[in-house]
Amino acid sequence: MTFSHECIVCIVNTGFSDAVMDAAREFGARGGTVIHGRGTASQEAERFFGISIQPDKELVLILVPRELTDPILYALYRAVGLKTPGQGIAFSLPVDQVVGLSPLSLGENEEKKTDGANP
Amino acid sequence: MNEQDTKKRRADRPEKKGGRTKRDGTLKAPKKLKLLFTVVDRKKAELYADLIAQYSVNLQIILPGEGTAKTETLRLLGLDDTARAVIVSVIRDDLAQAIFEMLEEKFETVRGGKGIAWSTPLTSAVGVAIYQFLSDYREGREDPAKTTERGKSK
Repeated sequence: MTFSHECIVCIVNTGFSDAVMDAAREFGARGGTVIHGRGTASQEAERFFGISIQPDKELVLILVPRELTDPILYALYRAVGLKTPGQGIAFSLPVDQVVGLSPLSLGENEEKKTDGANP
Repeated sequence: MNEQDTKKRRADRPEKKGGRTKRDGTLKAPKKLKLLFTVVDRKKAELYADLIAQYSVNLQIILPGEGTAKTETLRLLGLDDTARAVIVSVIRDDLAQAIFEMLEEKFETVRGGKGIAWSTPLTSAVGVAIYQFLSDYREGREDPAKTTERGKSK
């Protein structure tokens, strides 16, 4: 089942939400919401993989049209992925209904979609 | 009481399936659930949480969040008011349309109450009591989706 929009969730170290939004905006995202959180990870797994997990996290929620999901996720992987100081992970959730998006943003997305189809 | 009476009583007893009673012989599937995210100004979070709670919503979490500034310049000048709240609510699928219609109307009419809301399907919940709590299922009560004005699906 496919829907018109998806919700991208990106969890990064504190202070990297701006980097997340910069990367997402580059590919057509308009805005996001940042929630502060505290990460937990298995200490044994941390030792095994040789990484350290900073506990303070920021969780960025970005609502985007479905066709923009893949490019934005890839941009996030490159900009704030696990191999970067942001140590971020990103995934998307299906969105089956949405209200509150301005008609302007919907129109802009239509334009971007057309641009993408004819590079 | 003889054995025949006992059998008859058992046959007459409403059958239970997954915590839901079959009264009229028809099988009632459990109501599907959704996770509703509502992002609004932090000052309006309680208002919206109360509005959503009227639609048989028993579990809501209000998380303080920050909106992302529209431009770097506005942020540097301190002209962006980015305090937001994310309300996460577990809602019933059959009441979702009514909730979205209510939210759409409130986003347009409440001063400073502009926001955005979306829902994502919830695929599983463990435990009958938990499910009944989340879906606000109460034995013997009429379905709020059918009886109340606000619960009517258009």
